[in-house]
Amino acid sequence: MTRWLLVATRVALGALFLWAALSKLPDMEGFAQDVANYRILPALLVPYVAAAVIGIELLAALALISGVMARPAALAVAGLLTAFIAFLAQALSRGLDLRCGCFGSDELASWWTVVRDAAMLAGALVVARDSGQRQRVLEDERSRT
Amino acid sequence: MLRAGLLCVAGSALGIAGNAFTPRPAPLGGRVVPGADLPGAACEEPRSGIARISVEAAKPLCLACTAVFVDARSADEYSSGHVTGAVHLPPGEAVEPLLARLRAAPAVIVYDRDRDCAAADRVAARLQAEGLRDVRVLTGAWPEWLARGGPGESGACGACTADGR
Repeated sequence: MTRWLLVATRVALGALFLWAALSKLPDMEGFAQDVANYRILPALLVPYVAAAVIGIELLAALALISGVMARPAALAVAGLLTAFIAFLAQALSRGLDLRCGCFGSDELASWWTVVRDAAMLAGALVVARDSGQRQRVLEDERSRT
Repeated sequence: MLRAGLLCVAGSALGIAGNAFTPRPAPLGGRVVPGADLPGAACEEPRSGIARISVEAAKPLCLACTAVFVDARSADEYSSGHVTGAVHLPPGEAVEPLLARLRAAPAVIVYDRDRDCAAADRVAARLQAEGLRDVRVLTGAWPEWLARGGPGESGACGACTADGR
């Protein structure tokens, strides 16, 4: 993958996650409710998970945009997206009618949301793989000099 | 991988510590149950800006036929039982064929399956965009209507169907 495309993917992913985190910040209570509506987590754990998810989104987004610790951030984001997809898939297959809680709006969860998350997951995996390669190349160069 | 884990731990700590500084923090230490499990509590504070109506307030409107009920659930759910006289209009379906009937009613009450009312809100927003003035969403949705003995398809509100629906 060409370098600029990799950087563009990384920054776009970071921007999406930054948007996702910032749009949820004004109503964390509402996001916790959205998380609870998925009916997976115990009620006591829901608010902690909701707050933690937003924190990870925020930190990972900043890392992806700045390029500092981009590879671990891409891996973390890939992990988040995998969890989102699992949550969405089980909710949709059980016929739950809910807001997806994706970007702080009233958007409903649908299979389209799953497709969108899968596309972002692919992007995150590419960034995780190729940023790693670049890092290794740089380290190799450094060790040679 | 290790650094990804560290980033997640740091992010979680940031989120949980920062939560208190947000305008509407998540209630850490409290229980957050699915909105549909709250006794009609969800839907009461509309985030969508669509007005609400309780089952208790809506029942007389159904009995007096002064409101048209709009069912925003799936076709299967609608056919297996709905508010007497309700028309079926899930989100994403054309509203035009129903507009004349809805416009003729003094009030329109939309309900859906789950008590978070997301689908009903979407339908209600579309009806408002079509110029309908009094559009409200039923608090507690269909489960609450049933639980509080609202008239169902074969219930006491037969007069509403007299117009040949």
